[in-house]
Amino acid sequence: MTSIFLPYLYTGGVHKHGLILELLEDLGGYIIQKVVTGTEVNLIMLIPEEDVHLVKELSDELLGVLLEASLTGVEIAVVSPTLASHHLPHSACDVAEYLRHPGANTNMIGLARGMGRRVSLSMDYERKLINEHDIAVFTFGSFSDCIINKKPKLFEGIEIPIVVTGGPDLKTEDVPGADLYVGGIGRVSHRLRHINETDALDTLNEEIGKVADKIRKQLAKDPLAVLPARVMKEIENQVPAINRVLSPAPITMQLNGLRVKLPYDEYHERLENLEFDEVVVLSELANISRSKMKNYILIKIKSKSDVGFAI
Amino acid sequence: MDALETFIVESAIDSEKAFYRQIIEDNLSSLKLGPAIGRIKVVLRPEDSLFQMAIILRDVGTKVTTLDMADVEAKTGASHEVVISIKKERYIPELLKKLWARHGKANIRQPDRWTVAVDSDNPQEEAEFIGNMIVADPRHTLHEDLVDFAIRATPEGFRVRYHLFKGNRFVFVASEEAMEKEWIEEAGAMLEELLAGGKTK
Repeated sequence: MTSIFLPYLYTGGVHKHGLILELLEDLGGYIIQKVVTGTEVNLIMLIPEEDVHLVKELSDELLGVLLEASLTGVEIAVVSPTLASHHLPHSACDVAEYLRHPGANTNMIGLARGMGRRVSLSMDYERKLINEHDIAVFTFGSFSDCIINKKPKLFEGIEIPIVVTGGPDLKTEDVPGADLYVGGIGRVSHRLRHINETDALDTLNEEIGKVADKIRKQLAKDPLAVLPARVMKEIENQVPAINRVLSPAPITMQLNGLRVKLPYDEYHERLENLEFDEVVVLSELANISRSKMKNYILIKIKSKSDVGFAI
Repeated sequence: MDALETFIVESAIDSEKAFYRQIIEDNLSSLKLGPAIGRIKVVLRPEDSLFQMAIILRDVGTKVTTLDMADVEAKTGASHEVVISIKKERYIPELLKKLWARHGKANIRQPDRWTVAVDSDNPQEEAEFIGNMIVADPRHTLHEDLVDFAIRATPEGFRVRYHLFKGNRFVFVASEEAMEKEWIEEAGAMLEELLAGGKTK
């Protein structure tokens, strides 16, 4: 019987947080990410649905906070037209940072030639890189004319759901090619902290949560051959080199795969031969390829119908 | 002319006007250009990929000497030193840089935020020199800052630019397309309008 896992974020003191890790291991849950900042610790984890109350009790006892983190295990590309000061650090970085609150892993992507109306374009490499993610968030500017008529050409070749942010208050239907439009986050040169700006960011998080749920539902119709979280755990157990990676998320979970931040040439064979208790290796269950990002390894898990069985 | 006594942003759509006004305000404050600008008008036409800006600067040409920003006093009692009591904090970095170059860091003390003490063998003479020393020349950096401001405020894709800086007048036109003569003329007309315009907000 496979249990349903729910994503949660625990925030509390470092003191005794090991108890949570132990409990989660006993329950068969997964730790997705652990971030220690000073005396605080953030744990993003997947907890079996029927055992959430146990973790909640322990978290209350440790005076920590346990919150639902709807975007756990989602890797989001925040795409800004360029990396110039017109777009960064505000508002693109604010968007990326805010999306991390509910547990998402975000990557900032600045297009080389995304600026302008007539001249903006994206390159094949950039499109492939964006397509490695689960959701793409395009941060556009303040002119409705640009957002409606000119910028959507950047969506060509993007196969994942597209979320667009911009200044004016538009409807999603107005922006051709977009799966979702969230207004009130246009081009700004200050940090987004006015009430209406943080409200817009909250709406963005909420709506992206819905987009992620939709993808999850679609995946549930033809489930993955193996849970990405389980692959993550096996990599941690069988490939010790992952513990020496300094990235904040050495293994980044996606809805239908993982990004492993190890060099492809040295480690892809180790990962292809990753063994599971059911006597199958990972290469039977997933496509393992070179990621467009820094020579990392990208694992996309096949569906149950492709493989013929699920573990 | 008061600082920012006229501040006009025009665009076809009202809400976009507000966004742009905010961007311009933010950039003005981050480059500390607010006090230098008397009147400013910006016209945006995204459908033509056009950005026009006309600015009239205030008189900021006066050079700042130490006496403009501080009281300078020579002390010849137990210690021989020149004591500078700061009135305007803004120019302290420039002042310190000049003092360090002349006297060396070892001879300069800052007992508190408002006081700089310079050890000197001849405080009287030194006090006079320091008092009349030119600390900052705002006009020197103004041109640089204005161009930087114009580029930051313009939509990023508008890479075809025209700018004119003459006396206290600044005109800037940017577009994505080849520059047209009428656009520059329009910007010139905006400048005339600002020159004629009084305190309209």
